[in-house]
Amino acid sequence: MNNLAKTTAYLNRCSKCGSCQAVCPLYGETKTEPYVARGKLFLLKSHLEGKLPLSSKMKEIMSLCLLCKACVEQCPNSIPVDRMILAARQEIAREKSISFVKKNIFQHLLKNNGRLTLAAQLGYFYQRAGLQWLVRKSRILEVFRGELAQKEHLLPKMAKHPFRKQVPRLFTCSRPKLRVAYYTGCLTNFVYHATGYAVINVLRNHELEVLIPEQWCCGIPALAGGDEKTAIELARKNIDVFQKAGVDVVITDCASCGSMLKEYADLVETPEARAFAAKVLDFSQFLSEAVSFHAGENEIPGLVTYHDPCHLKRGQGVSGAPRKLIKMVPGLAFKEMKESDRCCGAAGSFNLTYHNLATKIGRRKVQNIQQTCADLVITGCPSCIMQLRHVLELEKSPVRVLHLAELLSMTYPSRKANKERGANKTKSRRGRC
Amino acid sequence: MLSSSLINEIQKILGKENVFTTLEERLCYGYDSTPEAFLPDLVIRPTCTEQIQKILKLANLHLFPVIPRGAGTGLSGGSLPVKGGVILDLNRMDRILEIDEENLVATVEPGVITAHLQEEVEKRGLFYPPDPASLKTSTIGGNVAECAGGPRAFKYGVTRDYVLGLEIVTPKGEILQTGGKTVKSVTGYDLTRLYTGSEGTLGIITKIILRLIPKPEAKKTMMIVYERLDDAAKTVTLIIKQGIIPVTLELMDDITMRCVENYLQLGLPLDAEAVLIIEVDGPIDLVEKQINQVGELSRANGAREVKIAKNEKEREEIWAARRAVSAAVVQIKPTKISEDIAVPRSQIPVMVRRLKEIAFRYQLNLAIFGHAGDGNLHPNILCDKNDSEEMERVEKAIGELFQAAVELGGTLSGEHGIGTMKAPYLKLETGEVGFEVMRAIKKALDPNNILNPGKIFGSG
Repeated sequence: MNNLAKTTAYLNRCSKCGSCQAVCPLYGETKTEPYVARGKLFLLKSHLEGKLPLSSKMKEIMSLCLLCKACVEQCPNSIPVDRMILAARQEIAREKSISFVKKNIFQHLLKNNGRLTLAAQLGYFYQRAGLQWLVRKSRILEVFRGELAQKEHLLPKMAKHPFRKQVPRLFTCSRPKLRVAYYTGCLTNFVYHATGYAVINVLRNHELEVLIPEQWCCGIPALAGGDEKTAIELARKNIDVFQKAGVDVVITDCASCGSMLKEYADLVETPEARAFAAKVLDFSQFLSEAVSFHAGENEIPGLVTYHDPCHLKRGQGVSGAPRKLIKMVPGLAFKEMKESDRCCGAAGSFNLTYHNLATKIGRRKVQNIQQTCADLVITGCPSCIMQLRHVLELEKSPVRVLHLAELLSMTYPSRKANKERGANKTKSRRGRC
Repeated sequence: MLSSSLINEIQKILGKENVFTTLEERLCYGYDSTPEAFLPDLVIRPTCTEQIQKILKLANLHLFPVIPRGAGTGLSGGSLPVKGGVILDLNRMDRILEIDEENLVATVEPGVITAHLQEEVEKRGLFYPPDPASLKTSTIGGNVAECAGGPRAFKYGVTRDYVLGLEIVTPKGEILQTGGKTVKSVTGYDLTRLYTGSEGTLGIITKIILRLIPKPEAKKTMMIVYERLDDAAKTVTLIIKQGIIPVTLELMDDITMRCVENYLQLGLPLDAEAVLIIEVDGPIDLVEKQINQVGELSRANGAREVKIAKNEKEREEIWAARRAVSAAVVQIKPTKISEDIAVPRSQIPVMVRRLKEIAFRYQLNLAIFGHAGDGNLHPNILCDKNDSEEMERVEKAIGELFQAAVELGGTLSGEHGIGTMKAPYLKLETGEVGFEVMRAIKKALDPNNILNPGKIFGSG
């Protein structure tokens, strides 16, 4: 029995009440029933009853899900919709095979750090060598169908070398309280180095020994794309490396990676996987629960709001910790935004595949941000950061977006992390309105 | 089935992107919140009245069924395409056209979500009271078509009490305006009331004028536990006699409580026969006084426990129990048949006993909860759709419970509508003459039976 067929019991639990409509960001923008959980579950049920083949339309509909779990939380019968969508994608991939491009990314790029680095460097070369300038100026992408030109704009600046090649493998400490491993995630490794430096800086201010072992993609892009086999292989590699490292805790700075690493226990189902998954903690969760966090003395004036990444709040049940930490930053005022836990539209590569739709979802988030008058948004997921910065820029908003680690790091006396980002600028006003 | 040239013509009217033809998309518009599902031939998503006029003219010419649909959260099968045809999805006509604060009136399109309208008017210190359980997803158009109620109905009335006027596209594609912005209006027949609750069988509602009222200043909530159901019913009668009209008077029976407790462990009593959740609203001083009066009355009439919420958190805890009911009851069996009878208030204890007796006789799981103020009970039969032997017993039990409701001077449906689910029992309540009058109206207004066929009257 495949993973999809195993979900029949859940399908029978759907009473078609339609509660999912109220929280589904995709339904909110499209008002289209096949895109909401109730519709998708009904289609899967029809398929399992033999009334509907896994057509290309089914493939499209199943790919139109942010996996944000908002419906799972809302469902009166607690149906794990996201898991069922993943099972469906896997089944579709098996029957219809994954696209050539995706297959290459999953099976060749993600499993090979050398090739992944090379790809990132090609991106860097494209941006620095004037090619990006040329492409944007010449508007060459606009001749292609779809939203390629806007998608290109979504790409953040790639770093020249991966983060992990630029920092020591081990940061020792004279009398460490704990020995922690830092799982950097691909976006920190290849794009947002400032987050990486900030994480290390904050951890080093808490008498910890920090280890950054060689590691692999967490596997969530493959799993979300229907390639469970690759995801399991990547999980095994990571489990192996981190178990050998002999650390007390594995810290993540990416909500999606974190929730994936925690799910290794169910994905791989070995005692090692369970032991590993139990050690994984989000950066904010670790600081708030495992060590007694203390902020530095630098005052950060300003008004800040917080965006809950789906995979942190609903994926890992972490929403109090980041807020608690933000409120400990000296000089900062905090204001909650409306719908702080509604998906920003990033959803892994969803914003690349369905750019227009993702931007519409992002606009609602940006409106909620702007209503708070905050000049800074803090969040805990690089993928959200990429999306929020992109949509804020489209809306010509001056609001800045930072990872929680960057904010906390700014409170300590300047080290390399602060120089990297040039984040020492202090603002005198509070709020933008 | 529709011919491809007809589909082409429809696509020309609406634009190709607003017409769904694939099996996958059509399947998703063939169900509502009942256990049933059918397959429409086409799904269309108009954005203006003119498009709907053109579609209905076409339907009358080529004789295909048109079924209006809102959020698809109905509980009587009102939006099911039982005879195929075209689903007319009104979700994209979702603008609030006006909130007239001077005249306390809102004008909206049918696709506006109930909770959204409530939020918008409450921002202005106004209030739109009807609160069906699905208000976060249901549309005003659907609420009007089914004449939705909700817990607040006892004090504030149901949807029909707030509909002042309608814009309707008739089955011939003409536009009919009924009522207007005035509370008083006696120009001929009350067509606004005729169309309200007509379940999409007489016309397509494209604009709705709603009455608003000022928002009550304060609200207080309490939970009362009774060892005996009769004591609970007696208290309700006494409260009302004292001149206190609570905004909600929710009743849960012992089976319901057991399901909820099993599911959530809220510390509900398992040996008590009934729980009442009572809420009063109004000016802050009066609310304080009334909630204490209710407390005293219930203690004097056999209440075992009276809990008044001191703050928002405690209020939430009380409502958590009520909100968990739907989820909790399906833990017993997967299929939930949610009935909707209403009886005169004084008959509630008798009705509850009759219901329990019917459930016992047919060996069915039955959870009863509902609105004790207006006598509207929701007996929920929990069964398994795939168990045909059990479903036969369910069918018989439903027939008997309707019979019992009518015998006690009640009605088949308080707030869900007849749709397909209750169509076979309609005559029980209307009698032959009532049935014929209704059918004559339908025939006069929709001679070709284009609109939502198979509803209310059944297939006959």
